[in-house]
Amino acid sequence: MQIPHWFWFAAVVLLFWGACGIFQKLATNYISAESSLVWLILGFILIEPFVYPGKSLLHYSKENILWGLLSGVLSNLGAWGLYVAMKSGGKASIVAPICALYPAIVVILAPFLLHESITLRQGLGVLCGLIAVVLLSV
Amino acid sequence: MAIKKVLKTRWLRYSLFCVLLWGPYMIVSKLGAREIPAPTMQFLFTLGSLPVGLALLAGRRFKLEKERKGISYAILTGILSGIGGMGLFAAYGSGGNTAVITTATSLYPMVTVVLAVLFLRERLNWIQVIGLGFAAAAFVLFAY
Repeated sequence: MQIPHWFWFAAVVLLFWGACGIFQKLATNYISAESSLVWLILGFILIEPFVYPGKSLLHYSKENILWGLLSGVLSNLGAWGLYVAMKSGGKASIVAPICALYPAIVVILAPFLLHESITLRQGLGVLCGLIAVVLLSV
Repeated sequence: MAIKKVLKTRWLRYSLFCVLLWGPYMIVSKLGAREIPAPTMQFLFTLGSLPVGLALLAGRRFKLEKERKGISYAILTGILSGIGGMGLFAAYGSGGNTAVITTATSLYPMVTVVLAVLFLRERLNWIQVIGLGFAAAAFVLFAY
């Protein structure tokens, strides 16, 4: 079995975002979810000096820089939507699994926007993953 | 009738708003990460986060709770989330399939569930156990 390269990076995501779930929960024991999102963004800012690219930023295409900026906008607006949904009377056990379905959107859009397709085995993996993430979010 | 009523609820609209933004968030992350290294993508991501943070602050008239523990946990969440985000950009930049990487990384609640059992002494329910089983199956299918 040969583990794909991306797998190790994905493991980093799982560990760190998994831990985020715990600390987010602890944070919202003391402050509102909306406030926690603002402070969370401050956490992002604290990393900035360590990832500051300097002049090398000028070497990248404007289009890709725009995608990078847009990723921050979309991610945080989506998180705000999640919090508003919960504040508007949505049960966490229903809202969270709905929001966890975002990979399904990627599966639908990727062939058109990225010209990528998945194999049958990968498709089965995606299906298992979607079922897993919904069950784990309940 | 009941379904019609649910479809009109505010919480469902915002849940769909969330899922409809997080999907494209992954697509644009992939598009950017094809050329831009992960740390720089994280730098740009944070710049993109600022207007949303400012809008939230303005919406609250620049008043936030001052509970120190909550603030510390939230900031720590941001730091951990940022490091995880760099992992996501690196995974996308490595050239793997976007749908597969997105699904694999979306399984982070399984780590949360396990950590909650270990550190918060929460108990797993049977639905979560089945979820962990499906997550394991997904990883086996992705790894081969």
